[in-house]
Amino acid sequence: MKNSNDFTCDEARALVPAYLDGELSADRASPLRQHLMECADCRTKTQAHKAQRHWFVPTPEVSVPDGFAARVARRAFQGDTGEAPVTAEPLAPILPFVLRMTAAAAALLLVLSGVIRAVDVPTGGQLRADDGATMSLEEALNRLEAMDNGEGRPSEGLDR
Amino acid sequence: MGLVMGALAMTTNSNDSHEERTSRSAQAREDALLVEETLAGNQLSFQLLVERYQERLFALARHYTKNPVEIEDVVQESFLKAFRRLDTFHHQSSFYTWIYRIATNTILDFLKRRGRSPIQSVEDPEVLARPEPTDGFAPNVNIEREEIAEVTHKVLAELPDIFRTVLVMREFEERSYQEIADVLGISIGTVESRLFRARARFRERLTKDFPEFSPGGDA
Repeated sequence: MKNSNDFTCDEARALVPAYLDGELSADRASPLRQHLMECADCRTKTQAHKAQRHWFVPTPEVSVPDGFAARVARRAFQGDTGEAPVTAEPLAPILPFVLRMTAAAAALLLVLSGVIRAVDVPTGGQLRADDGATMSLEEALNRLEAMDNGEGRPSEGLDR
Repeated sequence: MGLVMGALAMTTNSNDSHEERTSRSAQAREDALLVEETLAGNQLSFQLLVERYQERLFALARHYTKNPVEIEDVVQESFLKAFRRLDTFHHQSSFYTWIYRIATNTILDFLKRRGRSPIQSVEDPEVLARPEPTDGFAPNVNIEREEIAEVTHKVLAELPDIFRTVLVMREFEERSYQEIADVLGISIGTVESRLFRARARFRERLTKDFPEFSPGGDA
């Protein structure tokens, strides 16, 4: 909508907050006031802007503790940097680190398992340290002697 | 000479009286002297500087947190930072503008380190029990002042820092656009547009987080 002095509603609404803040110069405020007198819609919007200000009630005063200034000055001259302690959530700074480390460990285990699979290692029966039978020392020695003499080898699958 | 001229280059409002301008000039001169003496090693001068501005910084911190321990911590940290950087204060602005900027950044950094508090009020039965949504965006007259403040601070806590800062400076501290521009180091035009967007964002969050306050029409 345009009024007689070509001041549009969009232009007016953009200026209303500054107008209500008392920040518009006279040459900008005057045409706006004229528009508001002629435009009911913009007057309604202006009222809404004014109403919103009621949300910003003055904050309760805070009393300054006794001796605050003296303490601060003393600490300043003692070289205190004054980093305020942070009462953060106890897990907040740790949790991301733990998650990252867990993910890294999982990735490492995955890689290692792949490497292990790829390596040709003997398994199963090939790893047997004995033939399953309990033998005495004498028997073991007899067997060794037989092996030395070329008699049957205990192992299978070998051609002689 | 440069020191005095710089100290006088402060925010002025064309509506300020001669007495107000004279008072500010005197304060600027005193601040300049206290800064000089502090830099020369005078602890008492720094204490006097702190005493001059401690209440205002406590009030500023109060807009961001209600916890008195946190308020004291961030204000103390702000003054200690100012002390460490005192040699960089060249009187281009008033001392208060300069330390206000340090305090605002310190408070925002503190909030980031601490982590923002979650909004609790959506489930707050005290708030939900309030009847009668309002027309426009004004709080219902039956809502007590403390609850209004509680709602407002919770909504503000959810806004981006650049919006929260300008709203605090304008709506609570009633600073002029020029003062806001000086503190934040931005142009007046940017202040104007940032405030416009901040207020729109405030309305959006208020409507979203506290739907019982939704207006009847679009504002």
